[in-house]
Amino acid sequence: MKTIRILIVIALLLILCMTSIASAHRVIVQGQVSEIQIKAYYGGGGADPMVDADVEIYAIRDGQEELYKTGKTDDAGMYYFQPLIGVSEYRAAVEATGHSGEETVNLAEGAGLTESEQAEAEKEAGLPVAGIITGLGYLAGLAGIAMLITARKMKKEYENK
Amino acid sequence: MVHISDGVPLDPLLIMGSWVVTVAILLYALSKMKTEDVPKLSVITAAVFVASLIHIQFGPTSVHFVLNGFAGVMLGILAFPCIFVALVLQCFLFSFGGVTMIGINTINMGVPALIAYLIFKTGTGLDIRPETRKRASLFAAIAGGLGVVLALLFLATELITIGDVFLETTIAVVTAHLPIIAIEAIFTGVLAGFIAAVKPEMFEKK
Repeated sequence: MKTIRILIVIALLLILCMTSIASAHRVIVQGQVSEIQIKAYYGGGGADPMVDADVEIYAIRDGQEELYKTGKTDDAGMYYFQPLIGVSEYRAAVEATGHSGEETVNLAEGAGLTESEQAEAEKEAGLPVAGIITGLGYLAGLAGIAMLITARKMKKEYENK
Repeated sequence: MVHISDGVPLDPLLIMGSWVVTVAILLYALSKMKTEDVPKLSVITAAVFVASLIHIQFGPTSVHFVLNGFAGVMLGILAFPCIFVALVLQCFLFSFGGVTMIGINTINMGVPALIAYLIFKTGTGLDIRPETRKRASLFAAIAGGLGVVLALLFLATELITIGDVFLETTIAVVTAHLPIIAIEAIFTGVLAGFIAAVKPEMFEKK
C-alpha cells in the first residue's frame, strides 16, 4: 500500500513538473509596420481609380529626398510599399499619361489619412456641384459684361454714322 | 488628360510663348465679337466647362470630354475665347490644369477648335440650309472628332520636349481617347444636322 502511495505522489510531482515546463514557453511580441498604402484616383466626378499609373516613392531623410521605390498601381489604384527603418517621411508621386499628383506621408505625424477622412476626401473628389454652379454664375456675369462692352461698341458705330 | 498641370516641367519659353499667342488670338477674336454672338458664346462655354467633368473609364485611364471641335463648329473664331474662359473656370473651380499652364492649354484645345472650324467652313462653304443638312452633319462630325485628335497631337508634341517618346505617347493618348473622339464626332454631327434643319441661320458667317 505504502509503495503505491509513494508512486502516486511521484507521479503527481512528475505531472506538475511537466506542466511547469509547458507553461514556460516564451511569448514573443514584435512590433512592425509592414506596409504603407498609397491610393490614387481621379478627382472631378466619379473618383475613378488611377489604374496602372507609375508610382515613385521618395524617402525623405533630414529634408533630403532620395528615390526609394518605383512601381505601378493595381486595378483599384492602390500601391503598397514597405517603409525603411528609421525613415518616417515619404513622398509619393503618381503619374499616368499626363495626369499626376503627389502626397507626402509622415508616419511620425499621424500617418496619412484615417478611414473617415479618406471617405470624406473621396466624396469631395466626386461631382463638384458647388464648383459647377459657381462657374455658371461667373459665365452669366461674363456674358453680361461682354454684352455691355459690345453694346457700347455698337452704339458708338451707330453714332458715327 | 488633355490638361497639362502646373508641375509638368515644360520649357519656360514654351509656356511664355503660349501665353503671348493666346492673348493675341483672344484680343483678335474678341474684337470680332458682336452683341448677338454673346448668348451663344456663353451657352457653349458653359457646355465646354461642364463637359470636362463627364468621365469615361476606358482601359487604364479615365478620360473626359473636351468638346473643342464642337465649340469650333458652333462658334468659329469665338471658340478661342470660349475655351479660354472654360479653362480658367476649370482651373480655379475644379483644379484641372494649372494657372501657369492656362496659356498652353488654351492653345492645345483652342487652335484645334479653329482648325475644326476651317474644315467645317471649307467642307460646307457655310451654305447651310435644311436641304444641305447631311453635308453639314458630315463635316461637323469630322471637325468634332478632329478637334480632339489635334488637341492630343499638340499635347503629345509638347510632352516629347520633356522626354516622352512621341509615337508611343501619341498612340497611348489617342487610344485612350477613342471613345471620346467617336462620341464627340457623333454629337457634333447630329447637332449640326439638327440645327441645319431647324435654325440654319445659326451658322451664318460671322
